[in-house]
Amino acid sequence: MITPEIQWIAILPEIALAAGAAAVLLIEVQWKPAANRLGWVAGISFALAMAFTIVQWLTASDALAVGQIGSLLGFSGMVLMDGFAVFGRLALLAIMGLGLMSGWRFVTGLGRRGAESIALILLATAGFSIMIASNNLVMMFLGLEVGSISLYVLAGMTRDTSRSDEAAMKYFLLGSFASAIFIYGVALLYAGTGRFDVLGMRGFFSGVIVTAPAVILIGIALVIVGLGFKVSAAPFHSWAPDVYQGAPAGITGYMAAMAKVAGFLAIARILITGLPQYEQSWAPVLAGVAALSMAIGAFMALVQSDVRRLLAYSGVAHAGFIMTGLVGGTFTGMLFYVAVYALQLVGAFAIVAAVSGSASSASDIDDYRGLVRRSPVLAVSLAVLLLGMAGLPLTSGFVAKFGVFAEAWAGGFEWLVILGVLTSVVTFAFYLRVIVMMFMEESESDLAAPSTPVRWAVGLAVLGTVLFGILPEPLLRLAADAFPL
Amino acid sequence: MSLLTWLILVPIAGALVIMAIPREREELHLPLGIALSALPLALAGYLFYAFEPVPGFQFTESVPWYEPWGISWSLGVDGISMPMVLLTTILVPIALGASTGIKNRRKEFVANTLLLEAGMIGVFLALDLFLFFVFFEAILVPMYFIIGIWGSDRRRYAATKFFLYTAFGSAFMLAGIIALALAHSAQAGSVSFALADLMTVELSQGTERWLFAAFALAFAIKVPLFPLHTWLPDAHTEAPTAGSVLLAGVLLKLGTYGLLRYNLGLFPEASVDAAWIMGVLAVIGIVYGAVVAIVQPDLKKLVAYSSVSHLGFIVLGTFALTSGGLQGAVIQNVNHGITTGALFLLVGMIYERRHTKQISEFGGLQKVMPIYAGFFLFMVFASIGLPGLNGFVGEFLVLVGSYATLPPLAIIAASGVVLAAIYLLWAYERVFTGIPEKEENKALSDLSPREIGLLAPLAILVLVLGLYPNILLDKIAPSTEQVLDHVEASTGYEVPEPGRLGDVFVAGDGR
Repeated sequence: MITPEIQWIAILPEIALAAGAAAVLLIEVQWKPAANRLGWVAGISFALAMAFTIVQWLTASDALAVGQIGSLLGFSGMVLMDGFAVFGRLALLAIMGLGLMSGWRFVTGLGRRGAESIALILLATAGFSIMIASNNLVMMFLGLEVGSISLYVLAGMTRDTSRSDEAAMKYFLLGSFASAIFIYGVALLYAGTGRFDVLGMRGFFSGVIVTAPAVILIGIALVIVGLGFKVSAAPFHSWAPDVYQGAPAGITGYMAAMAKVAGFLAIARILITGLPQYEQSWAPVLAGVAALSMAIGAFMALVQSDVRRLLAYSGVAHAGFIMTGLVGGTFTGMLFYVAVYALQLVGAFAIVAAVSGSASSASDIDDYRGLVRRSPVLAVSLAVLLLGMAGLPLTSGFVAKFGVFAEAWAGGFEWLVILGVLTSVVTFAFYLRVIVMMFMEESESDLAAPSTPVRWAVGLAVLGTVLFGILPEPLLRLAADAFPL
Repeated sequence: MSLLTWLILVPIAGALVIMAIPREREELHLPLGIALSALPLALAGYLFYAFEPVPGFQFTESVPWYEPWGISWSLGVDGISMPMVLLTTILVPIALGASTGIKNRRKEFVANTLLLEAGMIGVFLALDLFLFFVFFEAILVPMYFIIGIWGSDRRRYAATKFFLYTAFGSAFMLAGIIALALAHSAQAGSVSFALADLMTVELSQGTERWLFAAFALAFAIKVPLFPLHTWLPDAHTEAPTAGSVLLAGVLLKLGTYGLLRYNLGLFPEASVDAAWIMGVLAVIGIVYGAVVAIVQPDLKKLVAYSSVSHLGFIVLGTFALTSGGLQGAVIQNVNHGITTGALFLLVGMIYERRHTKQISEFGGLQKVMPIYAGFFLFMVFASIGLPGLNGFVGEFLVLVGSYATLPPLAIIAASGVVLAAIYLLWAYERVFTGIPEKEENKALSDLSPREIGLLAPLAILVLVLGLYPNILLDKIAPSTEQVLDHVEASTGYEVPEPGRLGDVFVAGDGR
């Protein structure tokens, strides 16, 4: 019997994050340091995870250059080190860094329980990171659950407010339900193919013709439903507005962005890599979900009076736009979109937390009245981020929309692109409402200046939005190179 | 970097300079902004001087932006875009000079105006459809803020309406650009968004018509063509004076320019087929705009509706597909920018004094403000198209040119000239003639030297272009002839005999 080779490098980023989480909890118990010290621990594990990811990236490009694909299959093919996984890890780590910065006031405001929230943030990242890197669907499910459960707890960190309670409860119940549907779908795919690993499924289908693929088709549908819930695509989006509104604003952006990135990468890996032979079956379903998400998200956001609910519904619309990039069976547009949107989302919620308070509370659109007088920097930053989400040229959002629309058009989904550009105009309408409030209304009240970490998080998000809008080349090339095995 | 890149970058740099000046030094922002906007004017002046009257693009440059997508920073100028660049750079300093009334957040106002200038110049210079779209859409933001922050009472509504209307149109154009580029890459095997490459795409009749419609919708909203004009009266009326001047002077021209450059250039077959439809819409706009202008009680709204009417002439000339029509369209772009820009300035000046734009509030101003009345009457005559002034040249060329191919429409359009005389002269009569009755009107001060300084250059341009239009037409004609050649070469269409060259004013060797 041969002992399986253990390629530690394949999971070192996750180990760094999980060890960081454990260290934060242990140090808290032993020494009870100030939250800032714990922040350093989180920072170190972030830096280590980032470094290991970059090593993986170099390993992957070396291996691909010489055609040694086998060396990218870690743990007997359980975990992959392909460009796809590396891209996803980089995105997740970037979100985590920004999320920690923008949520720092919330974390320190929790007092002793701040350590728990730091540990949960690190753990959630580790979970989602393993999810997007795994080739094996059971492994993927484990990662999904580690990440999701951490997020459920984070949503309910401010237990004293009923809204946060409600958000956490709703998120937990519906989220578990969605996870169950996903694992059921995985089971049916296993029943149909006898394989748990994505690459194995692809190999299986290239060899045989399944005459009655009902089991497989139902499995595909259930996987789409389960992951569609995680990315808040319509019609599986009903939890999103309540959770976005109820969860502590400081980390809502992190939670939302995390789930979106991991969910979309998982959908892409399972459907496009694992089941390309069934593209005729799943592409129209994705297109339908995308169309519904764009329409429902855009029109529901029009009537929201709370900025967090508005961002939640706009997130539903964005789930639709991102999914538009998948219907043609391509990755690049989706990867670019999900990365730049995550950046905008974290930045926008950092500002929401600074304006409305970082704990869970209402963030009525009236709070933003005349924001440009009270805090010009925050107002201009939020305007840039919102226009970026709206997809105005010279922001990253435009390049992203252009990418997914071009891919969908090339894939033969012209109607979806036309619906997409039209709903984009509808999204302009509600983003402009916030901008009108901030720039064209007057206000007398004052606003405390945002803390330094928040300023950094917002600054980086704005910089990315503008930079990738004018010079999209580095990120686009990275996304184009980040194909899965 | 060459001249055209500088033309775009200099205003952006100017905006950054303005933003760098502290808010407290507010006396600096406006003068410095005017000084900075003189730089692009100087560059554009050199461009006009160095521009050769030959067909094709000049001063071209191209730098890849993102090669896998085939997008590039491609700029160039020809006889159709050069006058528009010149017009833009002339109007921006004047618009800034007319903004002394803006006290609130002046720094941001000046910076926004300079960014707007960069965007407008970019639209006219872009030779890559991706780049063109970026500029076309990006200018919405500064204009949105100019209307929405510094406008009058209903500014938020007007700004949002302006933004959404235009974004709606460009959404279809974006889909069209993607479809066209993909069709090109399927045929040529390489991805490109360059105008020259996309002009070579072979499209089926159905596809070409759909794409024509997608582009035409975006431009028709911008022009605006009846029945898509409803954003215009709101935006014009609510915008501050500088905003109205630039909106009427340049932004509307993005639509007529786009129809000429992109619809005729990319979809010649569909353009020939749609000439009648576009012509009919243009003529409806001419008559409708004029009739509605007659009954406006608000002076600014009257000028706004007169734009709907005048822009109809430009579209009619474009789709007449004759030498006269196209030359008339291009030169009328410039003329309308000058005269309507001046009329909006004049309305703004009286509004600053009386804080009303209602025609019924005035009367007998001739006696109180003779210089003001003089300028107003002069611009009214230019706008009506009095021979010897610039408006005559453009409208005459359009009417002659369109009579060759669309005779019934030309005849109806001619009535627009008469209607213009009615609404403008009647408005003049009610505002300026008679004896001043209202006490407030008797005490009005006449124009200050600054205000005369703003109007005088425009008045001189009206005279120069009216008396010697060949100064521009010589440079326009080769490019419009090239457009006609392209349409003829790619379709079975032939410009009827009296429509091709030999028209009055057409530049030639013998002149």
